Amino acid sequence: MKIGAIAGITFKEAQRDRILYLLFGFAAVGIIASRVLAVLTVGDRIKIIKDVGLASIALFGVLMAILIGTGLVYKEIDKKTIYTLLAKPLHRAEFILGKYLGLALTLLVMTAAMTVIFLAIVYAHTLKIESGLLVAVAYVFVELLLITAVAILFSSFSTPILSSLFALAFYLIGHLSWGLEAIIKKMGPGAGRTAVRGLYAVLPDLENFNFRTEVVHNLPIPPAIYLSSLLYGVCYTAFILGLAVLIFQRRDFV
Amino acid sequence: MKTPFFQRASARRGSATTLVLLLLLPAFLAGIVGLKAATDRVVRAKLPGSSIIYVPSGKLLKYSTFGFRSLAADLIYLWAIQYFSTPTIDDRFDHLDHVFAIINELDPRYQDPYEIGALIAVQDAHDVRTAFTILDRGAANNPDQWIYPFEAGHVALMTLKDYPLAERYFERCMKIPGAPAFVERLRANAIFKKGDLKTSWETWLDIYDKAPDERTKKIASNHLYNVKAAIDRTALEEAAAKFRERFGRFPDDLEALVRAGLVPRVPKDFDGRDYFYNPATGRVRTAISPWRR
Repeated sequence: MKIGAIAGITFKEAQRDRILYLLFGFAAVGIIASRVLAVLTVGDRIKIIKDVGLASIALFGVLMAILIGTGLVYKEIDKKTIYTLLAKPLHRAEFILGKYLGLALTLLVMTAAMTVIFLAIVYAHTLKIESGLLVAVAYVFVELLLITAVAILFSSFSTPILSSLFALAFYLIGHLSWGLEAIIKKMGPGAGRTAVRGLYAVLPDLENFNFRTEVVHNLPIPPAIYLSSLLYGVCYTAFILGLAVLIFQRRDFV
Repeated sequence: MKTPFFQRASARRGSATTLVLLLLLPAFLAGIVGLKAATDRVVRAKLPGSSIIYVPSGKLLKYSTFGFRSLAADLIYLWAIQYFSTPTIDDRFDHLDHVFAIINELDPRYQDPYEIGALIAVQDAHDVRTAFTILDRGAANNPDQWIYPFEAGHVALMTLKDYPLAERYFERCMKIPGAPAFVERLRANAIFKKGDLKTSWETWLDIYDKAPDERTKKIASNHLYNVKAAIDRTALEEAAAKFRERFGRFPDDLEALVRAGLVPRVPKDFDGRDYFYNPATGRVRTAISPWRR
């Protein structure tokens, strides 16, 4: 109940944030501009539209999660409203989870709005709604949920600027960590290889949520990966939120 | 002063939450590792080459790397090596020149990509023309480097067997300061293989006369022996063929060609030895191998 109240307030607070609308505007322009880019190509125009549209949803969604998420907890501390909140019978874990769910709801609405524009553009070209695109968008949203948790984790102990940088680094590492697999294959047995293997297992692999190539090219997606990717996202998000709560619990607000 | 009831309750709940989290976090971590392994085990469909179809040109990238052109070239080069050495990507060589053109455009003085790109084109892609394109670009961007015309000449000589082309590349290479002396010998060899025996003789003779050491002199001498043998052999075998047209058989010995007026005299090899002649086939060969003199 308390989590719901915090989430509701966070959702309203995010709605008032101008940066949200600015990013949404950029995303909409990006999706619509895919039509212009498609004109420049020779061959399959719809592929360009799908690529640019899905990329816009993913990139601007991540920017929303990071830029809004990193300020959520910090603002409460900076404006000293945290003292009023924590003086009430409210657990710190409830505060963090409420903030997280509020931003997750905001992102859900934003992703849905961007998807509607995207599907409308695709429909204008193909005269059909492709369900595969919704799968790709759904897993973009799972990725956004994880990035939101990361933004809140850093926000619980750092400034918004540093938190944004850390969260952005997490995002980049998440999309590059698959490269470690190639390095492991080329390394000889030993401590170095074990260390890299350990890193590979623990570092985020955001490519697990990337079905954009398969969807755009109509490639088959193995059903087993839907569940394992989803559970991976949920587990990683829970781990990050757990860390955020643990750190936030130990903070002194004097 | 007594602590209010709800604050004590909150502190107790805080400790309990910390304890629960300390138990849950390792479980979540184990879950992450297990699920990562499970997801990795699922084989996803790959679209061969799809990752580079839309890579823009190097010219465009030059303006979008914010001054980190050299770094961008390094990264693309590192990626290219991994990409082109992945045998599961069936059509990975379709954009070979495009990828290396990007690297070359971003950092024209970066030497390795020209050499490795050409090597991949010849050895793995079996696309000699792309190798020439990459090496020509290297030569155009680095006119002071003899290695590019040299490698192009080597590919033309050994792989394409296009001897006139090899000669042109070696000739271009020789004009660049610092080019090793053996390039001149490779050019002479290309001329010989092209079949221009007269120029080949003159070239090897020039190398022989200018040889700075005994080893080079010996190499040139062997080639001169070989060129002279080829000239003499051609003349004697053509004369033997004419003899056969006239008399219905090959001559019994080479002196018969002189008696028939088909050659002015029987030539000796470069060392003054007689050639071996086979009257059954009309073929002529040297007494020893030119390389074992």
